[in-house]
Amino acid sequence: MKIIETRGLTKVYGSNGNAVHALRGIDLDVESGEFVALIGPSGSGKSTLMAILGCLDTPSGGGYALDGRQVEKLSGSDLAALRNEKIGFVFQQYNLLPKATILRNVELPMLYAGVPRKERRQRALELLEQVGIPQKANTLPGELSGGQRQRVAIARALANRPALLLADEPTGALDSKTGQEVLALFRELHTQGNTVVLVTHDPAIAATAERRVELYDGLILHDFMEKAA
Amino acid sequence: MNTSGAFRERLGEAWTEIRENPGRSFLQALGVMLGVASVLGGFSISDSQRQQSERIFARIGGIDKLNVLPTDTVYQGTPSALHTANLGLRLDDAVEGGQVATAKAVNATSVMKQARARVRSEFSDQERDVSGIGADYVAMNGYEIEQGRDFSSHDYATGAPVAVLGSEAASVFFPTGEIVGKSLRVGEVPVTVIGVFRDKSFRFREGQQNIFAWRNRILAVPSLLVAARMEGDQYHRLDKVTFRVPDLAAMADFSRELTSLVTANHRLQNDFRLDDVGKRMERQRSQGDVYNVIFMLSGVLALIGGGMVNVNVQLASLKERVREVGVKMAIGAPGREIFKTFMTEALLLTLLGSAAGFVIGIIFSWVITKSIGVPLSLAPMSFLWATLLALVFGFLFALYPAAKASRQSPMEALRYE
Repeated sequence: MKIIETRGLTKVYGSNGNAVHALRGIDLDVESGEFVALIGPSGSGKSTLMAILGCLDTPSGGGYALDGRQVEKLSGSDLAALRNEKIGFVFQQYNLLPKATILRNVELPMLYAGVPRKERRQRALELLEQVGIPQKANTLPGELSGGQRQRVAIARALANRPALLLADEPTGALDSKTGQEVLALFRELHTQGNTVVLVTHDPAIAATAERRVELYDGLILHDFMEKAA
Repeated sequence: MNTSGAFRERLGEAWTEIRENPGRSFLQALGVMLGVASVLGGFSISDSQRQQSERIFARIGGIDKLNVLPTDTVYQGTPSALHTANLGLRLDDAVEGGQVATAKAVNATSVMKQARARVRSEFSDQERDVSGIGADYVAMNGYEIEQGRDFSSHDYATGAPVAVLGSEAASVFFPTGEIVGKSLRVGEVPVTVIGVFRDKSFRFREGQQNIFAWRNRILAVPSLLVAARMEGDQYHRLDKVTFRVPDLAAMADFSRELTSLVTANHRLQNDFRLDDVGKRMERQRSQGDVYNVIFMLSGVLALIGGGMVNVNVQLASLKERVREVGVKMAIGAPGREIFKTFMTEALLLTLLGSAAGFVIGIIFSWVITKSIGVPLSLAPMSFLWATLLALVFGFLFALYPAAKASRQSPMEALRYE
């Protein structure tokens, strides 16, 4: 089953004379359970593609179906609901809410989804256990190390059992050892059946994934699949 | 969205936001505080003043009175036969006034004839005002008997030579304290003292003189005694007739009918005036209303000024919170959820500001009323008004920043540094 299916996806910023073509026609299919790395130098359009795949932005042209739903015509609040239900984001800067406890950060997507309080709490605690920091539930993000914060962010991303886990340079702000641990966590999530799309400029990190999609100048340059071992 | 749970979550979040930013929250709530304090303070000061004057009117026997008083008639040249034939205000006016069709609304009547006489007792000899009174005068003027007894209807009907003294008059003429049963000479008429009125005292402000002191000087005798024995007036002329009309709506009809009756009795001469105490009170009250409007207006201005400050502070703080909004949107918060979060925060701040405003307002009005020496009275309505106004303005001025926050593009909000 296809989680991501794009056809001729384009994105143009600005207009007429100084228009910037960030994406020039992307055809990308990602099957359920895949671990894909989107790789490319800055300016290649990978951030734009990631924003569109994450339903944070809409394409200028072409079509995009997420988990079978056509998204290019959806309104802002429908997109919000779709993000809530289908996508888990992990950002380079963690993007945790600094004034909310770890537990609340993880609960938040479930709050927006209308999950009852008790169930929310229980699932959040389970998720924290799963990412390996069960004892920090009532601390604030500021009291955690970078690696721990990224684990919380991953727990939050998993809260609503998303169809797609979208990670944007998730190790960019971490030292290499912690970075490796976080990547190991992504691999583990992948083996558990989650679909992961990881955006990076670092070929070494991209090598973690079994499939690498290389972008250049708004087009797909290579789409390389490793043989399953 | 699970509604009650979500609201509680938002409330908790708003509280955290307010607690974590005390300086900013204080600035935002300042306008609300001043506005609420001003509305509340204004209301309670003018209400305290009003209640104080109502207390006075209650002491003099209520405000539902219609007084009929003689006035000077201006003669041009020689008085005409009509002028000469006019007997002026007299007992017949009071009696007939109580019999007109609309007099059903009248539940008490009093008459009074003032005279000046030399009054002598064993201990004292003074020139005094003597009040010839009749009908319900004692009750209608808020007098109570402390010693002895009140006049009986028989005393009034026969003009019996009896007197009731005010507390001051009693102490002047009978300093020994033995009063009831003693004799006085009023002019040339010997009278027996049958009672003493309770001392009346009312100080508008603490430490001021007793504004009812003159009422304690009263020396009351039946009005017929004054008319018949002291003045030899067979028409029983009066200085004041008072009707009590508890139903203020019936007052207008009654005073119209009374005017035409008395005018006819007085040979069509306009030698009297009606003084509607209720209406006079209402005029005084409307002065209080003017103050209420002024204070309400200054409260509204404070709320508008505060609201503008609020909008600016919110917009400035929005810059700090763009990223937070972006994150929430990315994990699935719809625009309306962001909107509700900001509105909840603003309204919670308004309520907290109102509570602080109550305290400031109460202290403020306590200090003012204390300094003018009036007991403080807090009108429950003023709390309601103040909160209502604060909420309305708090709501209106929160709309713009909340809408602005909720309409951001999640993409741009996330990229914002």
